Parts: sequence; structure tokens; C-alpha cells
Amino acid sequence: MSEEENIKQRLADRFSFLADKITIKRARRLFLEVSMDNFSEVFDHAIKSLDFSMLSAISGLDEGDKFGLIYHLASDAGIMLNIKTSIPKDAPILQTVTGYFPSAEMYEREMVDLLGINVKGLPEGNRYPLPDDWPADQYPLRKGWKSDVLDNKENK
Amino acid sequence: MKVIDKIVNWSRLKSPWVLHFNTGACNACDIEIVAALTPRYDLERFGVLLKATPRHADILLCSGPVTRQIEDRLIRIYEQMSEPKFVVAVGTCACSGGVFDGCYNVKGGIDTAIPVSAYIPGCPASPKAIMDGVVKLLQSLEAK
Amino acid sequence: MAEEKEFRIPIGPQHPALKEPVSFSLALRGEKIMGVDVRLGYNHRGIEKACEERTYLQDVYLVERICGICSHSHSTCFVQAVEEIAGLEVPKRALYIRTLVAELERIHSHLLWLGVAGHEIGFDTLLMFTWRDREVVMDILAMLTGNRVNYGINTIGGVRRDIRAEDIKEILKAMDILEERTKYYIEVATQETTVIQRLSGVGIISKEDAIKLGAVGPTARASGVARDIRRDDPYAAYAEMDFNVITDDHNDVYGRAVVRLKELLESYKIIRQSVGNLPEGPIAVRAPRKIPAGEAVSRYEAPRGEDMHYVKANGTDRPERVKVRAPTLANVQAVRHMLRDRYLADMPIVVAAIDPCFSCTDRLVSIRDMDKGRTDVIEWQDLRDYSIEWYKKRGVDFSRMGKIK
Repeated sequence: MSEEENIKQRLADRFSFLADKITIKRARRLFLEVSMDNFSEVFDHAIKSLDFSMLSAISGLDEGDKFGLIYHLASDAGIMLNIKTSIPKDAPILQTVTGYFPSAEMYEREMVDLLGINVKGLPEGNRYPLPDDWPADQYPLRKGWKSDVLDNKENK
Repeated sequence: MKVIDKIVNWSRLKSPWVLHFNTGACNACDIEIVAALTPRYDLERFGVLLKATPRHADILLCSGPVTRQIEDRLIRIYEQMSEPKFVVAVGTCACSGGVFDGCYNVKGGIDTAIPVSAYIPGCPASPKAIMDGVVKLLQSLEAK
Repeated sequence: MAEEKEFRIPIGPQHPALKEPVSFSLALRGEKIMGVDVRLGYNHRGIEKACEERTYLQDVYLVERICGICSHSHSTCFVQAVEEIAGLEVPKRALYIRTLVAELERIHSHLLWLGVAGHEIGFDTLLMFTWRDREVVMDILAMLTGNRVNYGINTIGGVRRDIRAEDIKEILKAMDILEERTKYYIEVATQETTVIQRLSGVGIISKEDAIKLGAVGPTARASGVARDIRRDDPYAAYAEMDFNVITDDHNDVYGRAVVRLKELLESYKIIRQSVGNLPEGPIAVRAPRKIPAGEAVSRYEAPRGEDMHYVKANGTDRPERVKVRAPTLANVQAVRHMLRDRYLADMPIVVAAIDPCFSCTDRLVSIRDMDKGRTDVIEWQDLRDYSIEWYKKRGVDFSRMGKIK
């Protein structure tokens, strides 16, 4: 059994709701889908019991009525476990994972600035990456957002 | 050699001091500007010196497509320079926004914020092109 | 859970007329930094959004210009993701050429870094020498690709230009020259007491902390963390290359310099193999204009560390989403850790040692003096001058160093 299959098996054994939600896309690439309710325990288990010691990045996506999130975890053996989850767009609240990975701070701030996600528990600090005078309620990475909105506001 | 003689003359009269400022560039042009000062290209033989503060600079070498964050600082630096002063847009982004034209956090070429005296295209502008551009600017001033 | 005590900088009174964008805010007590806040985003252009509005092929040229030092890194990382989604089998010859350009880029980047590091500590002769040597590799890159930077060598499905026999001869000659120069720099670094004094014990981060804070690249490897995507998650032709992952256990800036220098030797090795074993065959396969729905995560060991791209395709000729995580962003927490409770005079080289991807010439630093209760905004060059003077007073003076070859 390959290492990827081993990880898949162990996850499926531990969490029955993951049964058909884990895909091995290719060597060293696992993807799994989990609801936000179950996210924390899967995330915790991957880090504490499956040796995923690095968070490469967090990707946020505008998926219409929800925001998709992908936590890109990696192990020392070079295997990635990409954990996909989502939150509703009309209540886009996320808990910080900086307790596990301080490096998550910049990735979470990006999602706050560019998608308008509310990340709870982020330490106080500067925003990233938008300028301080960026108009409120303008989230560039949301689908349908156009920068001419920005220029109109500036010309007022 | 005639061109170089003319330039060295001009430099003896007035040794242009340049200030280098990056307005959100990818750094490629900035590195080529610094490379122009290293022995292989040696911009310094024209008396061109890289100076730290706007008040002492004659020429402002700008790279980058002017991000929204940096625009005010660019304008402030330009205002702090005393006349006569000249702005050189180094690289395609500085000329027109380049490949970033249309990106939401980018204004465009340097001339969207301050007046530009010379445009040096290239992605990045090579050290030779930078030297050529600066020399052309000095020549055009001497002709006045 | 985070155990470090967070020292947050109390927001001091700002100059009313001052709207200066600072990259760092420090809280200072005496000569020591108590807390560091970082403010990034000066070169945030809006590239990820632009990627969605352009075709995949246009995006290859766009992402190449995220950073003018690791341009091939971003370009390759991106096309790898797209090729995976489209199920393309990139010809071996193309993978070898990508590997060759990748290592040439690493060489130019590390030599550039050496010069910049020299400049930060007042050792400008080093800048002149290393950048002169760097021109050897810039010439090779221009010969192979047509440009000194932003090589445009990648296309979706392979590479755009082939390599000729006469190119290979030039490359091998260049490797010999550079190897000799690098061995000399290693000698300088490991034997010149001024260099060792200046860089040792500065910017310390333990192996544990480097792992916890997610450090990447030479910054991590200098603390004994053997992370290198070329070996851990091979891409391009690295699975067929014989090379060492260089680590060091000094845990400091000195270690980061040694790692980069020794990595150069590995790069020469890899380049000799890639041109020596260059497979015959085509240099690209045709790529469809519309990429079928799917997603992929691509990783690449850029000179600064792990670069990661996530691409999601939706069946059109434009991506649904492109997410780029450049290596420097992963080292931000590590740099904050390295500065805290250390001398202000060490800041320039400590920041330079992670080989940051922001502008080299315009970084303002806001310093709030906790004892005097005032905040000043200073230019980076003033901080550098302060640092060089501080060390001169303690007997570390590069202007006194004998001539280097």
C-alpha cells in the first residue's frame, strides 16, 4: 500500500463521514472534502496524528453562495493533504488556525481583505495586502467585482 | 568616443545625481539599475551617482506600475526634489503599466502620477538600455 | 499552541502630516527591539484577479513577472498546475530545459543575494565582485532564452526554445568559472574573521521554531530543517538528478550564507547533469486552449524557498482561480521571531538574510522608542548606516578588510 493510500485509509477509518470524500489525485496529492462542522477535528487529527507539519497556504474561493476554502497541508515526506471546506457567503465566519500555524496569519489576512471573510481570533495587526485607505466593503477577489467601482468611489 | 566626450563634459559641469525609487515593481528593473552601477556597465564613469535623498537628486529613476499604496510617496518624493529635476521611467511597467495594466491595485505608468522626462522600455530594461536612456536625456539637456 | 509572548506595539502618535507607508514598525527599548509589526503589500498589484480575466497563456507571462528574481519559478509552478489539470505529458527534453533554467535562476539569485548582503553590512566590495560574477550567468540566460530576466521559456505543455550544442559548450565553461569563484567565496565566508563575527549569532532561529513558524528555503535549511521541494516533492526533471539538500546547524545569518553558497555548488552539479543527459525529442506538446474543469496544487523550490500555486479550471480558456503563495510570505513569522529581543543594528542583515521579495530601495521603518515615548520614521539606508557604525565601534569594520581577489 502506498503512503498516500495509507493516509487515506487511516482518515476513512477514523472519520466515517470521510468515507467517499478522499481522493488521491496523483502521487503526493490527496484532496478531501469536509463540512465546516467537522473541519476542526479532521484538521487537528491530520496535524497531530498524520504528521502534516506544514501549512503551505490557505486558498479562498468565491463559489457563488458560499466561500470555498482549501487548507494546503504538507508532510516532511512531501505529501500534500488539501482539506476543502466551505462557509456560507451571507455568514462568512472562520476560526483562525494560527494556534497551530503562526504562518496562517498572512494567509487568513489575505482572505479578510480580498474576499471579506471574517476570521475570528486573528491577533491584532496590520491588514494585508490592501492599502489602509481601501474603501470598505470592496472585496476584489469576489466574482463580479470590477475595479471601476473603485475609481468611481475615488472620484467622488 | 565623441558622444562619451560630450557626456563627460556635461558631467564635469554638472554631475547628475540619481535617486532610484520602486513604485511596486517586480524588482527586475531595480536590479538592472543597480547592475548598471557595477563594474561591467559602470554608470559612475559618467559621473552619475546614486544618492539617497530627494533633495540632492537631479534625476529620479522610477520603476514599477505605481501601486495605490505607493502613489502618495512617489508624489511627495518628486515634490521634495529641487529644480531642475527630471524623471526617468525605467521599464515597461513604468512607461505604461506594462503587463499589469488593468490590475486593480495599479495606476499605470509613472506619468499617471508625476511628469516624466524620458521613457526606457524593456521588461526589464537592460543595464545597457538604462545607460543609453540616461545618456540620451543628458544629451537632450545639453542641446538646450 | 503558540507559547511565545506576543509583544504588540502600542499605536503611538503619528506625525499628522506623515502618511508614509512603513514596512516595519518596531518597539525599541534601549538598543533592543521589543516587538515587530510588518506591513506588506507595497507591490500588491492584483495579479490573482487579473489571472481570472486573462487566458492561461497570457497568465504564464503575467505570473512570470510577480517577481523579477524568481520569474521562472512562478512561471514553471503555474504551468505545472495547468498541465496537470489538462492531463498533458510534458516531453522529457522540456523538463530538462526547465530544470536547467531553474538552476541558472537559482545561481543568479544567490549571487545577487550575496551582493545585497554585503551591501547591508558595509562590505560593498562583495557586491561589486559577486554581481560581476553574476553577469556570467546572466549572459548564459540571455543566450538561451533571449532575455536576462523574465525568460519566457515556458509554454503550457513544454518550453518554447530549444538548446543547441554550442549553448551547452558555453554553459559548461560558465559552470567551471562560477564553481571556482564560489569556492573562493566559501573560503572568504568561512575564514575571514570579520565576516564570521558580523554574521554569527545574528538572526537566530532554532530548528524547532523554524518548523513551528513554517520557515522555508535557505532560511529553514540553515536551522537544520531539511526541506527542499526538489527532493521532497520532485517536479520538472529533479527526480532524475543527483544532488544534495544543503543544511547547516548554525541557526543564524552566517548559516544562511553558507547554505546558499554550498547550494550554488549543487546547482552547478545539476546543470552539468541536465545538459549532459539531455534527452532527445520534442520540446512541447500541444495544449488545448480551453482547460477542462479540475484543480491542481503545484510546488516549486524557488531560490527563496517553497513557491506554491493552486489553479482551478472551469472548462473555459480562463482560470476560475489562481492562488499564488510566494516563498517570502512563508518566512514573515520567522523574521519577526528573529528580530525580537535583538539589537536594532542587526535588523538590516537579518531581514536581508531571508532574501525578501520586496523593494530593495524603499523600505521605511517606524521606530517607537518605549523609553522616550516618541515615534520616528526612518529610511532603510539610515538604519543600514546606523548598523554599520554600531559594528565598527565594536571592531567589525569591512573598510579595514584587505583587498579580496
